[in-house]
Amino acid sequence: MISFLHPLALIALAAGAIPALLHLRSRRLPPVVVFPAIRYLTATEREHSRRIKLRNLLLLMLRTLVIVFLVLAAARPILRLASGRSHPPSAIVFVVDNSLSSGTVVRGRLMLQLIRDAAREALSQTNSGDHIWVALADGIPQRVTRLEAAAILDSLVPLPIRLDLGRVVRIAARTVGDDPLDGKRIVVFSDLQRSALTRGEVIDVPVLIPRIAELPVNRWIDSTFSDPPLWSPDGTVATAVGGTDGRTTTVRLSVAGQVLDRAVAGSGDQVVLAGQLDGLGWAVASVELDPDELRADDVRFIALFSAHPAAATALSGAGEFVSEALQVLQDGGRATSGTEVVIGDRPMQGMAVLFPPADPALLGAINRALADLGVQIQYGELLDGEWRVAGDLGTATGSTVFRRHRIVGSGTVFAEVANEPWLARDGEVVLVGSRMEPAWTELPVSAGFVPFLDQLINQVAARQTWIVAAAPGDVVTAPPSASELLGSNGASPIPGDHRLVAPFVPGVYFLRDAAGDTVGALELNPDVRESDLEPADDRTLRTHLGQGTRITSRQDLSRLMFVDDKRADLTWLFLWAALLTAVAEFAIANSGRSARRRP
Amino acid sequence: MIQRPDLLDPYEVSQLGGIELVARAVVEGFLAGLHRSPFRGFSVEFAEHRPYQPGDELRYLDWKMLARSDRLFVKQYEEETNLRAMLVLDVSASMDWVGESGRLSKLEYAKRLVAALSLIMLRQRDATGLIAYDEAVREVVRARARSRHWWTLLSKVNALTAGGGTAAEPALRKVTDLLRRRGLAILVSDLLFDRHLVLRTLQYLRHRGHQVMVFHIMDPGELDLQGPAEARFQDPETGVSMVARPRELRAAYGSTVRRTIETWRSACRRRGIDYHHVLTTTPFGYVLRRAAARRSRLG
Repeated sequence: MISFLHPLALIALAAGAIPALLHLRSRRLPPVVVFPAIRYLTATEREHSRRIKLRNLLLLMLRTLVIVFLVLAAARPILRLASGRSHPPSAIVFVVDNSLSSGTVVRGRLMLQLIRDAAREALSQTNSGDHIWVALADGIPQRVTRLEAAAILDSLVPLPIRLDLGRVVRIAARTVGDDPLDGKRIVVFSDLQRSALTRGEVIDVPVLIPRIAELPVNRWIDSTFSDPPLWSPDGTVATAVGGTDGRTTTVRLSVAGQVLDRAVAGSGDQVVLAGQLDGLGWAVASVELDPDELRADDVRFIALFSAHPAAATALSGAGEFVSEALQVLQDGGRATSGTEVVIGDRPMQGMAVLFPPADPALLGAINRALADLGVQIQYGELLDGEWRVAGDLGTATGSTVFRRHRIVGSGTVFAEVANEPWLARDGEVVLVGSRMEPAWTELPVSAGFVPFLDQLINQVAARQTWIVAAAPGDVVTAPPSASELLGSNGASPIPGDHRLVAPFVPGVYFLRDAAGDTVGALELNPDVRESDLEPADDRTLRTHLGQGTRITSRQDLSRLMFVDDKRADLTWLFLWAALLTAVAEFAIANSGRSARRRP
Repeated sequence: MIQRPDLLDPYEVSQLGGIELVARAVVEGFLAGLHRSPFRGFSVEFAEHRPYQPGDELRYLDWKMLARSDRLFVKQYEEETNLRAMLVLDVSASMDWVGESGRLSKLEYAKRLVAALSLIMLRQRDATGLIAYDEAVREVVRARARSRHWWTLLSKVNALTAGGGTAAEPALRKVTDLLRRRGLAILVSDLLFDRHLVLRTLQYLRHRGHQVMVFHIMDPGELDLQGPAEARFQDPETGVSMVARPRELRAAYGSTVRRTIETWRSACRRRGIDYHHVLTTTPFGYVLRRAAARRSRLG
């Protein structure tokens, strides 16, 4: 069986008609030549017409063949002589994609079932001499026997995690590259999402990718954002719907099985769902879409915390913008009047939010007062520049800072600029690196200023809540006070370095301290990149996985998987055939020319 | 270095002047290289003795006189003037063709050849006549032996133009009417006509006891088929045409032409006819010399 590495080149076979077309074209209206010896010419033509016709036909065929052979050579023909089980030992890594997207229903079957069928078929082509690895969505290749590999395939289920295909293939290449056997191959069984491909080091092991099935269009919850971060006890959840599906869907906000609000949205829309919690404290909410072919991304979990608004007052040193914004919060019920939280530019007993003083001469006195209160953080030198705020500050994240004091000392950092603390807390004192004035930062003249102040008063200063969003399987750093993680299956201890691997089941997990109080929540939702089912084209696959990547059919895969698959590159054969044909054509075309003699 | 006009390229010689000038120059040059008459008659009579001079042929030495007087004398003969020659010139349209510039057309070449031949024969006092033909007899000049007769012949030859088809048989039959006694018929033609018919007529001449010479005039362009990749070749006489690709037919065409020439040569030889294939680029002197040599062997 002959196949072609560049089958598109076969389009040029149409050029084989050129000799015939030239022949036909030249037959039109030849010039007239007066020639008295025409009786010799007619005699010659009469005697040799049959031979001349044959010669012309032969020349036409040879010229056509030259073109055909050249085109076939350009298409890189490969002759497959044999395939099957009689191959020398090979080292093969099977990358099997059981990520979240493998749970998509395709023509009535799970994508994972199709992937598994293809992987089983390929596995059946191996023999006991082969070295086999299996790498799943977690990205760790496991050296297994054929039976173990079959067992792994049988037990596969879609995991709510993301597969970084580029990273997994590179790990597989390093793994199989160290194996002493020849015939190294990486075979990828995946739905081939474009979003799963990442670039990296050059992959020097051939990667074979069978096309399994086309994925359908999908719709998912792109993001959820609680506004305000602390409900009191009402609030909203801004939800963005992602996808390429043009149809609309119902978006529902639920708490404990009770739907609080619902809306209709299409792909790319953002809706705000409002609700009110029954009491104070923590609650688990979910935002859900109508079901589609991929169910796992139709729901997203949120941790909500309900508390009374903090009673706050702003001293004159805090500046006009802070005073105005606080008045807005108080008018809106997001804060009340009182001294629970004092906002100003000098420290005092109780919960306080400090901004740098307008007069730098006061900085020394402020730092000494902080030290007297036992606060471990202080203001440092004054810097001018332009930086962006980084951290979990909602609308304030990304704002530009033009002037700031360094914050030195040890405390809990909530936001940074230039990788240095900009908003930090120690004890009951919160330090902000910049005054809330336009000369220091654009924040006070931006729309995000009031929500920022709301978060600063109610969450950072008054209610120390720790809510972090992560994907299943991510490594998360817990707050120092947390000692155990509480989920639906019970509690599990947090390691001493406070780093834990997030569970694989999406949902809201609570963090408790040694006294049993809840100090924070962990929102686990699948990586939204897994929801984007747009497939990668062949060029993208080669770009990301190396030029040795071959995208093939399942039928061809069994022939390409082993190096000893007997095949012959016929390119040179066709080139030689073209050359010999050209020589024959030249010889025939010029035959008789040298026979000119004078009588 | 002296250039002999009879050995120069015919086209270059033709640039020297008219036919009469060319013919004279060619003939003078041609005769200067010979020791005896090239086209002598069938019988000669003794005229007188003259002293031997170095260069005289020994066969004419009078041995009896040498034995008697111990002196060297050669015998001089007077050629008879009873040879009657008819030049038969083809002036059909096919003769008015030249393969490329810088050459004489077949007719122009043939006219100069005829003029030279007639001058040589008239100088031998042979009566010489002319018949020109295309598809019919166009011109007839009866054979005369007077030296001024050459000018008559020359004026007729000069006036001939090419045209029409070719039919040699009537012209050759006319020769039999004009040559009552044994004579010499010289056919100058490109022989582009029915070979069998003409050979039969020539054989008839031979049966009547006439000597026959054939000058087959051919342009080099007729030996080798040239032209564009594909062309419609048209006969100037009949208008018949055919489409051919010279590149494809060249070799076979050359073979056909060579075979045709050989066929003419062998057919003439079998019939005792003196055949000469002449290209229009061949110097006149070569043609005359070759014809004279053949005549010497035959005579």
